[in-house]
Amino acid sequence: MKILIAIGSKDFSKPTLKLGMKVAQAFNAKTTIIDVGEKISEFSSQLVELAQDQLESWDFDAPGVDVLEWAFNYLSQNKLIDTKQTETGFPKNRLIDDGEGRKMVYLSGTACEDVNLILRNGDIIAELREEVQFGEYDVTILGKSRKRNMSHDLLQYINSSLLIVNDYEDQKFDKILLPLDYKDGMLKVAKYAIRVALALNVGIDIFTVFDKDKSQKKGSNYFSKIIKFIRRSGVQYSHEEKQGEIVEQIIKKADKNKIIVMKASDMSPIKRFLKGSIPLSVMNECDVPILIVK
Amino acid sequence: MLGFSNISLSNFLFWATQKKWFFFSIILGVCLLNIPSPEGLPNEGKIAIIILVVALVLIIKEPIPLPAVAIFIIISQIYSNVDSVDGIAKSFMSDAVFFIMGSLMLAVVIIRQGWDSRIALGILKITGNKTSNIALGFLSISALLSSFIGEHTVAAIMLPIGMSLIRFTSSDLSQIKGLSATILFSIAYGCLIGSIGTPSGGGRNVIMINYLNQSDISISYFEWMVRTYPFILFQIPIVNWVINRTFKPEYKILDSSIRKLVIKVARSKSMTGRNTLTVLIFFLIVLGWVFLSEKFGLGTVALSGVFIYLIGGFVKWSDLNRNTHWGVIILFGSTISLGTSIRLTGAATWISDKILYGFGDVISSVPFVSDLLVIFMTTVMSNVLSSSATVAVLGPVTLNLVPEMLDVGLLTAMSSAFSYFTAVAAPACTIVYSSGMVKASDFLKIGFRVGFVSIILLIFYVNVYWPLIN
Repeated sequence: MKILIAIGSKDFSKPTLKLGMKVAQAFNAKTTIIDVGEKISEFSSQLVELAQDQLESWDFDAPGVDVLEWAFNYLSQNKLIDTKQTETGFPKNRLIDDGEGRKMVYLSGTACEDVNLILRNGDIIAELREEVQFGEYDVTILGKSRKRNMSHDLLQYINSSLLIVNDYEDQKFDKILLPLDYKDGMLKVAKYAIRVALALNVGIDIFTVFDKDKSQKKGSNYFSKIIKFIRRSGVQYSHEEKQGEIVEQIIKKADKNKIIVMKASDMSPIKRFLKGSIPLSVMNECDVPILIVK
Repeated sequence: MLGFSNISLSNFLFWATQKKWFFFSIILGVCLLNIPSPEGLPNEGKIAIIILVVALVLIIKEPIPLPAVAIFIIISQIYSNVDSVDGIAKSFMSDAVFFIMGSLMLAVVIIRQGWDSRIALGILKITGNKTSNIALGFLSISALLSSFIGEHTVAAIMLPIGMSLIRFTSSDLSQIKGLSATILFSIAYGCLIGSIGTPSGGGRNVIMINYLNQSDISISYFEWMVRTYPFILFQIPIVNWVINRTFKPEYKILDSSIRKLVIKVARSKSMTGRNTLTVLIFFLIVLGWVFLSEKFGLGTVALSGVFIYLIGGFVKWSDLNRNTHWGVIILFGSTISLGTSIRLTGAATWISDKILYGFGDVISSVPFVSDLLVIFMTTVMSNVLSSSATVAVLGPVTLNLVPEMLDVGLLTAMSSAFSYFTAVAAPACTIVYSSGMVKASDFLKIGFRVGFVSIILLIFYVNVYWPLIN
């Protein structure tokens, strides 16, 4: 399992890093923390690089290094990396430019597998997409953007499951909300929900919503298997069925204290691009963390 | 769908959304091509304008790499018979392009010579410890240097000095936002203000000289300075006042931070004989610009300097090659060739006639309207495009607006330096912005004030000072 946690600033990224590292621990995943800096106009990019070189000779760090240093300190304070590496502070001298526009430092984790810190510059979606493709990540974790288009682009173009962190606080979330339907392909979603529930020590609310315009379907064997699977994991669960508008019902049920774990849309990318999808609508409208499993 | 996997469809959609401005510009171009030529505009002129519109969208939105935009400008002119291959090639490699190439290469050599520490000491010796005086020092030295060296080079040299002073004042940047903005904008705006002072201050000045030469008007290095340099001297105290009033630095005196900076500089490597020789060679280049540029061209002199630095081993070719943005050079070459085509096809005359017709008698009867119009067009465009590209595409048009071509040419070049409003308009602003110590909104906040003051000052300057020296 490989997890990518995208952070952007010391002021706003703490919930993302906190929840991200908890999930990484739950999956014992190889974790990479990435900061994507602002895109520099191509007109001035070379001149800015020259100026950055000059700044380095005056002991100034490149933009973004301070954010990685903050992440390093967080990992170090929470003993998430090997203590041998934390004695001398953030190893700026080990921040290597790989010649592909990425600067990175490798650390060995304690609670999860290796932790890498990466710095990139450019358009956030394009850079994350490239990083996910390059590193073959399973889950990308990032904070919620105020731009609606960004959620659409993330779901549409990032080729991994997505955990969007909305104002995460430890005490606030006491349940996982698992919207399930009676279609195939839900086992993976249930597995993810169980892992997160175990990591946060919370129960799972399984929630099935029937579209109000369609007749109620009967439960399948496949669905029973999932329920059995959750029961065997030892996680406390409950199951509720409701009829109504799907997005509205999920958001209402999630309230302000549940982390949503749901399946990504099965529609073709073109249909999703034109029509949107239920996970996208939930992601746009909810105020709680949401993990969309692809 | 049609045998394509979801991943390949998703890849295609991503590519298409990344290129949406490219598709938009092409569709716009095709639509414009299907509109009949307006009366008085030759077909080649219409095509040249359409290529310009498409290229502007591509340059501003950057959906494709800048070198690709340059190639598009070149090949589209040839395929559409706007000019012949030889004609495009000739206008593409002008002295202005030699200068931009030389200037970018000289920046690589100069930035690494350790001038920054000497400059830091020089500024602090003159200004003392008062914040307002230090800001004035940064503004004045940046302006003075950038009038000869080029804004980007000076910004890169001055930025570490300014940032060190800020860092030595407080490590908590949120406590010294006003001071940070005051020092850093003094550097950025100083570079912009100074860049109009001599022809070598920026590529746009050389591009304008190129266009003036095409119209059989010549101006020497010294003449340019006589006409433009006093404006810098007027602007410096006024812009300094505006910056100080806008950002209100938290500390009036920077005593301890200056002491720390002096210690830091004293501990830095001292200048070697080789560094001094580099300075002397650069001084010879400046002399060459002053005395030889009219005969040989500013670009030739700049490249001669690069030649000396290369054979003297002051810089390695690999270093120059790595740090010179060849894409920007060919883009400037292609925009200059497009500007030349716009002039030669009659499109420039047609646009200026339309502007003159649109304004009716206002331009000739109301004082300063023509100046205001040129300044407004140039300022707006240089804030969304780049100052050199603005002069390259707008120069042929503004030169046709009024009979006094030299005056309007200088006015265009001078107002193209008013890229105060955005962080991306001028390399000096982008370099300062990349420090992370100022926000994009700061550029708007101060840009409007400095821009407004500069426009008023320039109109006053060209209508009072220039008649005196003409």
